[in-house]
Amino acid sequence: MSKTGIGVPVIRKEAASKVTGEAKYTADFLEPGTLTAQLVTSTCAHGVIAGIDTSAAAGVPGVRAILTGESCPELCGAILKDRPPLARGKVRYYGEPVALVVAEDAFLAAKAASLIKVSYEPLPVVHGPGQALEPGAPLIHEGLGAYKRIVADVYPEPGTNVCHREKVRKGDVEKGFSECAVILEARFKLPQSDHIAMETRAATASISADGTVFIRTSSQAPFEVRKMLSELYQIDEGKIIVEVPMVGGGFGGKAPVNLEILAYLASRAAGGRPVRLVNTREADMVSSPCRMGLEATLKLGATEDGILKAAEMTFLIDAGGYADIGPRLAKAIAVGCTGPYHIENVSCDSLCVYTNHPYVTSFRGFGHASVTFCIERALDKLARKLRLDPARLRYKNALMPGQTSPTQVKITASNCGNLQACIERVKGLVNWEEGDRLDMGGGKIRAKGIAAFWKTSNSPPDAASGAFISFNKDGSVNLNVGCVEIGPMMKTTAAQILSEALKMDISRIHVNMDVNTRYTPYHWKTVASMTTYMIGRAVLRAAEDVTDQLKSMAAVVMKCAPEDLDIGDERVFLRSDPSVFKSFRDLVHGYHYENGNALYGQMLGRGGFIMTDLNFLDRETGKGKPGPYWTVGAQAVEVIYDTVAHTYRLTKAATVIDAGKVLNPAMAEGLVKGGMCMGLGLGSREHFQYDPAGRVLDTSLRTYKVMHFGQTPEYLVAFVETPFVEGPYGARGLAEHGIVGIPAALGNALSVACGAELDELPLLPEKIWMAKTGGRL
Amino acid sequence: MIPFDFEYHRPASVREAAVVYRQLEEAGKAPVWYGGGSELISMARVGNMGFGAVIDLKSIPDCRLLDNSGDEVHLGAGLTLDEIRRSEKFPLLGQTAGRIADHTMQCKITLGGNLASTIIYREAALPLLLGDATITTGGEKGIKRYRIRDIFRDRLQLPKREFIVSTSVARQYAEAPYFHIKKTKNEKIDYPLITTTALIANGYLRIAFSGLAAYPVRDEVVEAILNDQSIDFERRAEGAAAALAGILLEDMNGSSAYRRFVLKNTLVSILESIKDAQVPCIR
Repeated sequence: MSKTGIGVPVIRKEAASKVTGEAKYTADFLEPGTLTAQLVTSTCAHGVIAGIDTSAAAGVPGVRAILTGESCPELCGAILKDRPPLARGKVRYYGEPVALVVAEDAFLAAKAASLIKVSYEPLPVVHGPGQALEPGAPLIHEGLGAYKRIVADVYPEPGTNVCHREKVRKGDVEKGFSECAVILEARFKLPQSDHIAMETRAATASISADGTVFIRTSSQAPFEVRKMLSELYQIDEGKIIVEVPMVGGGFGGKAPVNLEILAYLASRAAGGRPVRLVNTREADMVSSPCRMGLEATLKLGATEDGILKAAEMTFLIDAGGYADIGPRLAKAIAVGCTGPYHIENVSCDSLCVYTNHPYVTSFRGFGHASVTFCIERALDKLARKLRLDPARLRYKNALMPGQTSPTQVKITASNCGNLQACIERVKGLVNWEEGDRLDMGGGKIRAKGIAAFWKTSNSPPDAASGAFISFNKDGSVNLNVGCVEIGPMMKTTAAQILSEALKMDISRIHVNMDVNTRYTPYHWKTVASMTTYMIGRAVLRAAEDVTDQLKSMAAVVMKCAPEDLDIGDERVFLRSDPSVFKSFRDLVHGYHYENGNALYGQMLGRGGFIMTDLNFLDRETGKGKPGPYWTVGAQAVEVIYDTVAHTYRLTKAATVIDAGKVLNPAMAEGLVKGGMCMGLGLGSREHFQYDPAGRVLDTSLRTYKVMHFGQTPEYLVAFVETPFVEGPYGARGLAEHGIVGIPAALGNALSVACGAELDELPLLPEKIWMAKTGGRL
Repeated sequence: MIPFDFEYHRPASVREAAVVYRQLEEAGKAPVWYGGGSELISMARVGNMGFGAVIDLKSIPDCRLLDNSGDEVHLGAGLTLDEIRRSEKFPLLGQTAGRIADHTMQCKITLGGNLASTIIYREAALPLLLGDATITTGGEKGIKRYRIRDIFRDRLQLPKREFIVSTSVARQYAEAPYFHIKKTKNEKIDYPLITTTALIANGYLRIAFSGLAAYPVRDEVVEAILNDQSIDFERRAEGAAAALAGILLEDMNGSSAYRRFVLKNTLVSILESIKDAQVPCIR
């Protein structure tokens, strides 16, 4: 295993601590004297809180505080301030926090929480976004018009359940359809589901005598926690310290600020004593935010030879009871609505809609797995109408340099990569040419489905990052970056990029595994597959900074011009004669002459990065640049389908991504496989179900099913490398992408296998039976 | 976190268990029998069950019985599902046990606990119903023996203060050709959509189901239909499915109509396997 640079497999820096169980996560830090907070959550999906009786709970010895919505009048939210930390007046979803008990230990907190009696007067329940838009639908937020908007580009529609509407208008749709030989219309319905990170969310808070607030949390966004607490409670940012140790999986679920606010309120109510709040699995699934549901209507038109001409689409996001990041999900879907295909005429309305379901937040893929299911299922239907190979249809319509995205961003090879190459490669991986439906006899069909995807980020246009470099006296390097280690070895990737830039052994580069907002340079959030790009750029700038310093200092010491020097292997050496050198260790903490004189102090490097050419989208047309680049890819799933039972087995899943440049092949392959596994879970089994009163039925892993290791298929992964010029060494982000097209590819494979159109997830045998037979015995 | 206090007792004999139960009851402690604890813990931590004391039966030697030296296979109620599977003393029960929950849980859940479960599936009861098991119980009046059909009607209906010590099945049934077909919603490790178990005793097909209805089902009428040599498999399967139609469950795992479809297919496949002499049939 090579020790220097990129393009080679590198073992994650925290491997030993993780495999031995030594790694510590938020809830593992147990400080003496810490109180425990326990949530009481709503048993009603939509109702007026008629009363909360806390008297019995207050009588439990050891209870230090009991909070209800009346104790915290503020509203919070990342985009729109619509959510009370604890429900006030009414509850809007099953599982919503209504009270918080703070006690000396976990047992007393649980005991007291069980004694709190909340009574509700039920209100009519909104079960889905379609119903939410019907005339006369119950209003979930009566005061929608009065909520404070955190950003300029969110457009709630007061008097309705529409939290936000994103529009794309490109070309002339009417004219486009008039030029089409074939028009396809389809409807899709995708359920809410959950992240199911191994580590449930957890946060501790304390307030010291001087008013400094300390938060330790399992978060993807420590700087966002600091910002939101500062804004909500008028605390100077410098007096808030947010510390994040290793995080046991985020998948987007730990990007919103959630338990941190409650932990802060709990500590404040208990005189600043440390308080910890750790989600049970049940609370993590329904009380904390989950994954969006979607209802969509698509109309696609193509010419006789399969050139897409027009698309008209409506996407209704089931956002649940509160906005959180939902408006941005609507934006992401609008931005990517066509998939990675060139369509001249596009009209898309993407709505974030309130319902009485658990509220939603970012989830791996940020809406793209959902929109991709719709567009890729629609393309397969269209291919059948056109009697065209579905892979060929995608190849023909793949976005090419010079064309434009739905929001009219000009496509280049650098910013969008090479989808056609990905399609060709994935076809090879799954032996596409043998046919997508093979009768194996005995009532078994082997079938394949394909899907392509693209994804860009939808960050604020000024998202920023940074890196600090310091040196140890032996010349080794300490790298300090603000991304959170949530699993995909971002810290190691940062070190790997630095190793390449400084041409030194990565084992001599030490990187901070935690984040502390007081010592660590700012990083927007560890989300959106943007970390490699943002941190990478910051690290490169910091590397350039120390390289310049090393060269100019060595130039003085070595009596030469800086431009005659180069660096490598912890040395600054003469280009013309590398045997003439100074070691890093002799330079980085000052240069010491034999007579005792010393020059310069310790060497410190810094690099900052900010997104530069992004902008807000036009409200009416969507025109604008949402993200710095797209990552494109093609995926395929193979199944063996039983024609009698309508059951199936997953046999293969394949992904080809245009990575720009693969920095760490082992990491990239592992990440993509993990994404495919999650995608197969979404495609085949994961969903929230509700009773007629809107209560979530599957709130634990006894009944909510995720993929088990023994049921995973053979995974095939390959990469195409079309450099993204602005990326670190040409790399694009690929952390989320393995998930994006998999539910669609599975839906396509099973639709081919059974000969019926499967337009809802998850693809349960019962649903296939129903689609295929109409419920015949 | 279980949000209430309770006592833990671990008696060493059936007699001691009975005495402890009575004492706790008289002290108002609302005691419950305790096997592997998986269900009590899951229920108690979410507030669906309360108790003042648990009596762990796993240290009672009689509850750990594992013997097939005579004409019967005896299995203690305190054996874990995994121990039963690995013992291979009653292959159908072993296979059924090996498909309840996941392996971690199979190392906790006991035979007695599964039979006495408040969750509707109680899959371990199916092989015992098919094998006309004898259930040995303990209590204040010492050891008692029941025919399973007399005390397992939909669920275990033991007299108060009694607990299962062991179960016994004649070896001719325990070693008979059998079927075990577990159908789930989609994920393999899940509660059953329908678990079908069957064995062939003296040329007669016995069959029992879990997940089909809100309780485990063995039905003589259904067995009679399935064994009716005068009609073809398809019609037998349809007839049996029709006979059970009224009790089919409709829940988050599947609709009653879908269960009927799966049931019929399962029955046809079993009947065809018998014809083709593909018994005993594994899974």
